Amino acid sequence: ARSDEGVGRRPRRRKRGCAGGARTGAGGALEQPVKRGAPAAPPYREAKTMEAPPVTMMPVTGGTINMMEYLLQGSVLDQSLESLLHRLRGLCDNMEPETFLDHEMVFLLKGQQASPFVLRARRSMDKTGTPWHLRYLGQPEMGDKNRHALVRNCVDIATSENLTDFLVEMGFRMDHEFVTKGHVFRKGIMKIVVYKIFRILVPGNTDSIEPLSLSYLVELSIVAPAGQDVVSDDMRNFAEQLKPLVHLEKIDPKRLM
Amino acid sequence: MGVTCVSQMPVAEGKSVQQTVEILTRKLELLGAEKQGTFCVDCETYHTAASTMGNQGQAGKLMYVMHNSEYPLSCFALFENGPCLIADANFDVLMVKLKGFFQNAKANKIESRGTRYQYCDFLVKVGTVTMGPSARGISVEVEYCPCVVANDCWNLLMEFMQSFMGSHTPGIPSMFGNKHDSIYSPGDTMAQYMELFNKIRKQQQVSVAGIR
Repeated sequence: ARSDEGVGRRPRRRKRGCAGGARTGAGGALEQPVKRGAPAAPPYREAKTMEAPPVTMMPVTGGTINMMEYLLQGSVLDQSLESLLHRLRGLCDNMEPETFLDHEMVFLLKGQQASPFVLRARRSMDKTGTPWHLRYLGQPEMGDKNRHALVRNCVDIATSENLTDFLVEMGFRMDHEFVTKGHVFRKGIMKIVVYKIFRILVPGNTDSIEPLSLSYLVELSIVAPAGQDVVSDDMRNFAEQLKPLVHLEKIDPKRLM
Repeated sequence: MGVTCVSQMPVAEGKSVQQTVEILTRKLELLGAEKQGTFCVDCETYHTAASTMGNQGQAGKLMYVMHNSEYPLSCFALFENGPCLIADANFDVLMVKLKGFFQNAKANKIESRGTRYQYCDFLVKVGTVTMGPSARGISVEVEYCPCVVANDCWNLLMEFMQSFMGSHTPGIPSMFGNKHDSIYSPGDTMAQYMELFNKIRKQQQVSVAGIR
């Protein structure tokens, strides 16, 4: 039987939650003057956010480890995408299928040096509230012909949304931009990305785009501290498991130019 | 971050920087503020190298890269009257890579270090501003944590500052005028520190005469 509502019951009065010490302006005096020698303030005043951050005073500058990106690339035609995704879902770590839609802009800084300095600014178009991603990629390391993957220095920085304005202020100019749409998988520290590149028809307008090709680019990469060449063996072993759906290889960008 | 005002405290007549800081912190402690750790804000200056200037056809610009111990994982990069970029600590590594285009004027590195005090909803940081080995001045940062709209709590901030800074209480920071009702952010605090550091850099060195 449902309880009788309203009969003989006092109307419930709800206390409006008051926002802690948020006293604004109007030139009023402070709410509770603290007397000299008064006992510690009541618990609600000791907001955790006001404690000093638990790190040393030394500013975080320099002295960081050089990170290297190890990369293998390949591609599949559109019609083979589903079977590749199916295989990857089986081989990779169990996680929610993750798709992405990103807008990447490549900026150049020209100096007296022969080659300009390249920086890549990337933002998510479908996930709100994520920081922009600024990336520097160095020249591929020429070394061991037996090394299975392309190795280059990389620096990844998360930034606020005014990144492009700031880069322009620094003297960078945008060289080109594109949109990428695809899927990302993970296996341990390896990242596998399957995506399609789209050309932007009207500069700055990411709504009018067209695919660059009838295929998807597949990239297997690891970002690890310098000197960990053994990771490229793990990458080669994983790449073997994706054959014959896709052949991932070390592709030297310079040879394509 | 709550609305923050960063200002300079002049060195007291006939006293050293150290002594003035002590007078100020004693006043705060008498008021009832509790010491809560230390803080450090530093600023490095980069200028565009000659190689890039030729192509851009514009005067060399100064870029400031700052850190604040209140945000240990972040790096703030700003141009005077320009945008302020908030990035993570790897930005410093990027500046090393950009050595050929941006030169670090190491002699211009300036920082403020001192104690952090909490008083009710206020956070007060009194720091000694040093450039190299010499102390050049005193910075006072007062933050009113619960409010994020600058013009709503300026009067309250000013009243609080008067209680321990007396006649040295600063006027309303010029940047508050531009903010209207927009949300206050840590980048605004760093811009105030940058202005303060630039002012102190131009001032003559604190006279040594006062030190016994």
